[in-house]
Amino acid sequence: MTNLTESAMFDVDEKAGNNAQRIMWMILCGVGIIMILGAIAGFLSAHSAEGGGPLNLAGYAVLGVFISVTLILAFTIWKLFQLVKQSGERVPRREKLNRNIIVACGGLGGIMGLAIAASGISNISEQGADPFVALLAGPLPLIIVVPLIFVWGVIMPVVAWFWHTRVIDEQEANAYRDGGYYAGYAFLMLTPLWWLLWRGGLLPEPDGVAIYLSFSLVWTAVWFWKKYR
Amino acid sequence: MKNQLKVLRAMRNWSQADLGDHLDVSRQAVNAIETGKYDPSLPLAFRISRLFDMPIEEIFDDEFNGERDV
Repeated sequence: MTNLTESAMFDVDEKAGNNAQRIMWMILCGVGIIMILGAIAGFLSAHSAEGGGPLNLAGYAVLGVFISVTLILAFTIWKLFQLVKQSGERVPRREKLNRNIIVACGGLGGIMGLAIAASGISNISEQGADPFVALLAGPLPLIIVVPLIFVWGVIMPVVAWFWHTRVIDEQEANAYRDGGYYAGYAFLMLTPLWWLLWRGGLLPEPDGVAIYLSFSLVWTAVWFWKKYR
Repeated sequence: MKNQLKVLRAMRNWSQADLGDHLDVSRQAVNAIETGKYDPSLPLAFRISRLFDMPIEEIFDDEFNGERDV
């Protein structure tokens, strides 16, 4: 009887362990959807900048592939979410709060990204700006900029402080710190390397957005790996 | 660091989430300690020691063989 109970108990742990991989795939699928939506927006904006009008057959085919992949990724997220729910993992209180904060921040980031993208797309259709430049460096109206500055400059530091001091445990803090080290070293090593390659005429000028995204990506990847491996 | 956490937990029929609740850490933290991928801080080691009512050195094994570095 004891063996049965113990095996059931370890089965619960094993299923819960798989949830980490499922959550990782859900996040990756979510990132994939955001990137494909960006590609769709860029594709439609470029089409509109070239004069607009109805799409030709090739255009519909490209759009069809984008939409199909988006739907497959959305279905995968839904399926994985069902598996996580069915696994019966009992999430400790602290971890539940942690996941809720991460999901809320992800949602907030998504809304901010959509607001910036929507404004960029309107720039393209109104002024015929280059889609890439308009999405990343075009002017933004104050009605969008002010709330974004408030969220990023006031709300996020408070959430980050609360998350670090009241929510995460020491193992996650350790994983996060390691992520910071890896990201810091990647920044210190790679940025001058890129600068030298640029000076030597081998690469384009160092790009602040690319460096910022790489830094964030390394930090997040190491944090996730150290926490869930 | 090798430890007896999994055995002690099994003796009480606790899942990793149950032990996480008792120690106020996540299930991932319990898993990382059990598998030796993360060594707990001294305060957490003391909490574990008090929870199982055992000395720290009976729960954790630092594989010290008695030879001292001079």
